[in-house]
Amino acid sequence: MITDTRPARLIRLFFMLSLLFSVCICRTTASADVVEEPAIKIGIYENEPKVFTSKAGKPAGIFIDIIEHIAKSEGWKLQYVPGTWAEGLERLEKGEIDLMPDVAFTADRGEIYSFHKEPVLSSWSQVYAKKGSGIRSILDLDGKRIATLQGSVQQEAFTRLSESFGLKITLLSAVDFKQAFAMVAINEADAAISNSFFGMLHTEKYGLEDTAVVFSPSKLLFAAPKNSPQHLLATIDRHLLEMKENSKSVYYVSLKHWTSDEVTFKIPLWLQIVGLGGLGILIMSLVGSAILKHQVGLRTRQLRTSEREYRELVMLANSIILRWSSEGLITFLNEFGRQFFGYTAEEIVGRHLVGTLVPEEDSKGRKLRPLIEELCADPRKFERNINENVRRNGERVWIDWTNKVVLDEQGKIKEILSIGSDITERKQAEEQISRLNEDLRQHAETLEQRVAERTAELAAINDEQRTIFESASTGIVLLRDRVILRCNRKLEEIAGYGHGELVGKSTRIWYPDDKAYADGGDIVYLQMARGETFRHEQQMARKDGSLFWVRLSLRAFDKNDPLKGAVGIIEDISDEFEAAENLRKAMEAAQAADRLKSAFLATMSHELRTPLNSIIGFTGIMLQGLTGPLNPEQHKQMTMVQNSSRHLLSLINDVLDISKIEAGQLVLARTSFDLGVSIDKMAKLVSPLAEKKGIALQLDLPDTPMTMTTDQRRLEQVILNLLNNAVKFTEIGSVRISCLSENDHFLISFADTGIGIEPAEIPKLFQPFHQVDTGLARKREGTGLGLSICRKIVDMMGGSIEVRSTWGQGSIFTIRLPRQAGGRV
Amino acid sequence: MNNRLLIIEDNEQNLYLMRFLLERSGFTIIGAEDGRKGIEIALSCDPLAILLDIQLPAMDGYAVAAELKKHPELDKVPIIAVTSYAMVGDREQILAAGATGYIEKPINPETFVAEIMHYLPKDRQTAGEK
Repeated sequence: MITDTRPARLIRLFFMLSLLFSVCICRTTASADVVEEPAIKIGIYENEPKVFTSKAGKPAGIFIDIIEHIAKSEGWKLQYVPGTWAEGLERLEKGEIDLMPDVAFTADRGEIYSFHKEPVLSSWSQVYAKKGSGIRSILDLDGKRIATLQGSVQQEAFTRLSESFGLKITLLSAVDFKQAFAMVAINEADAAISNSFFGMLHTEKYGLEDTAVVFSPSKLLFAAPKNSPQHLLATIDRHLLEMKENSKSVYYVSLKHWTSDEVTFKIPLWLQIVGLGGLGILIMSLVGSAILKHQVGLRTRQLRTSEREYRELVMLANSIILRWSSEGLITFLNEFGRQFFGYTAEEIVGRHLVGTLVPEEDSKGRKLRPLIEELCADPRKFERNINENVRRNGERVWIDWTNKVVLDEQGKIKEILSIGSDITERKQAEEQISRLNEDLRQHAETLEQRVAERTAELAAINDEQRTIFESASTGIVLLRDRVILRCNRKLEEIAGYGHGELVGKSTRIWYPDDKAYADGGDIVYLQMARGETFRHEQQMARKDGSLFWVRLSLRAFDKNDPLKGAVGIIEDISDEFEAAENLRKAMEAAQAADRLKSAFLATMSHELRTPLNSIIGFTGIMLQGLTGPLNPEQHKQMTMVQNSSRHLLSLINDVLDISKIEAGQLVLARTSFDLGVSIDKMAKLVSPLAEKKGIALQLDLPDTPMTMTTDQRRLEQVILNLLNNAVKFTEIGSVRISCLSENDHFLISFADTGIGIEPAEIPKLFQPFHQVDTGLARKREGTGLGLSICRKIVDMMGGSIEVRSTWGQGSIFTIRLPRQAGGRV
Repeated sequence: MNNRLLIIEDNEQNLYLMRFLLERSGFTIIGAEDGRKGIEIALSCDPLAILLDIQLPAMDGYAVAAELKKHPELDKVPIIAVTSYAMVGDREQILAAGATGYIEKPINPETFVAEIMHYLPKDRQTAGEK
């Protein structure tokens, strides 16, 4: 299809059209002969689907359908005058034709032609480019070749539009839209402009696509010569209104037929509003033509205003449009840009970028002149750049620039076109984000550093702990749910396992049987749940099954959840246990021996006393003369037997006492009694001997009772012993017993005027089996055990015994006893 | 008037010694050389008091005292332990077993009879004397 549009074919097409023209003229001329009414001459040209010549060579299109319908209703005769668009307009102006279809209303045309009111169609102009060309917006058209219909409203409007953007566009003229589209298809043009009707139907066919460049909304009407009869246009208006009210009218049928697309063809809202406006005007036309004229003028002004507003909108778009030479000199700055930067055109054009829009250096101290120089040297490298700019008042702004190079005919860089958007706020936001990011990064770095330091510390601690763990001399184990997580080498050694063998095993392997395992768990977990350390000595099984004794300490990591695990210290105490066992056995043996000794002593005591009972008993009977009178010699000898037997008895008693004391078997009883009474009682026992020796026995006791709590019998034994000694070793003089109370103690002293004790003898005095003056010259009877027994008893009572003596002058023995002396209740 | 004393004592010399001293004071002495016989006699002869040695063959003095205490007819009969046992608790133990009194051997022949008298009921304390 595209090849059909080559110039040769176009010439052929024109030839064909000319032929048709002549046929039509013949026909209309023939009709004119029959009816007096002159034919209405209508210019036709090629602008499918509005008006064109069909393949059958007949005039066709929406306008043709409508005018033929009106002509049929009104009984008009129509005569078509084919030609180009420009020819048609020329003929209309000269009055050679009566109607020209599809003429867009403009103020200028309103001066030359007459138009009816109700638009046949509404349309707008649009730029179409080749598919994939990348042309989207008006700015993309800079430096491009654009095909337009010569003398069309589009051409006029687009020229204004492109100038307002400061674009350099090469306009190529085409005889009709088909040619314009074809030029794009064969790359003779970069884009084509057509009305939306044509574009809608033909983009696909020519491989084009529509762009966002839409402009010049227009009403399409029939135009008549300025002086044409009013009724012609009024009739057209009347019919159009009628047709538009009826959805089944020729008007809609034609639209549907020629656009072939009922659904996609929607009348824009503004078009409907304009339509309603037109309806209002019609009503007014019934009121009077004066009002109608006024309305026409108003409408004209409205449309002009609308167009101006649209142009301003484009001009005031939020874009800076800057053109500058490769030397960096500003050649153009659009109004928005001038307002933005604060310059007038006179002030800025011709000046260098650096020092005006571009500061010498940006706020970070970066020199910008080199950037501009680099940009000037090879602008192609900088399709887009964002840099800091400066307003006339010194305020810094950030602009996102899109740069395009404009080449001259020789292909050399002529100018650079830069379109800029103010992104200061965005840039500030970005900088804010960047600062925050930097803060965040630094913060993260600090954190990372701290984590690293902490990790190193922990690693060191971990190493220390591992060393302690491995070198510990006791077994250490970490358990969870009675399974071994980790254990040290020592534990493996004591339990007889190889390295790593215990990990993952249940602690069941340590117990001799299931019951011990179950019991062990119950106790341990109960105690650990209370947060206590479980300590226990138990038998544990080695790998070979042999049992050994361990001391186990277990503690939960978290007492609230013993299942989290526990740490256990396991100490091999087999040696310790064995030693303790031996000790226990030895103790038992010793105790058994001791019991044996006690039994022996008891038996000995009994066995010795039984014969002594007879000896002492019968000797006494005989000395009493119960068996008949004894002569003096018999009496003397029997007395000797009696003394010897009594000595033997006291020996037996003393040996028994000292044995009991040394075996710790002497247990003190505890009763309360009057010490004075006891002393008196003992004194009475020794008084016969004292009387016999002519020694004065003196008692110096306080009048008040001296209550004492201890073993009465044993204390009396001590008192008697000391009294006996005093009397025994005193030949002349006296024995004096005194007692006094001192704080919570009693002091009992026994003073005699006897032989005294040599100082060297004093330390040995209380040793067992020691009697002063021992040896061959022994004069006094006694076992030599008495004082040592006394001392031990007094010690047991928590008291003390001391002696002061002067050789040849006498001795003083003093007992110091607490009022509450030791002993059992 | 009943002045019978039962002496349970396995040592012949000691029995002779006590019999000699007590008979001289007007008591009738019945001797028994072991615990079993002693209990038999005690139940049959209605003694004024029983003198009891502790170390006896077969049945010791503690057991004999405990057995004697089971018989209500002997309730009022004093049991006087005469013993050479001198270990800790011997006195307490025999008194706990039911003995009324305790006299340690060797006896003092000069005071022995008086000591026995001390344990007899008040109205009999002089009864034995001639």
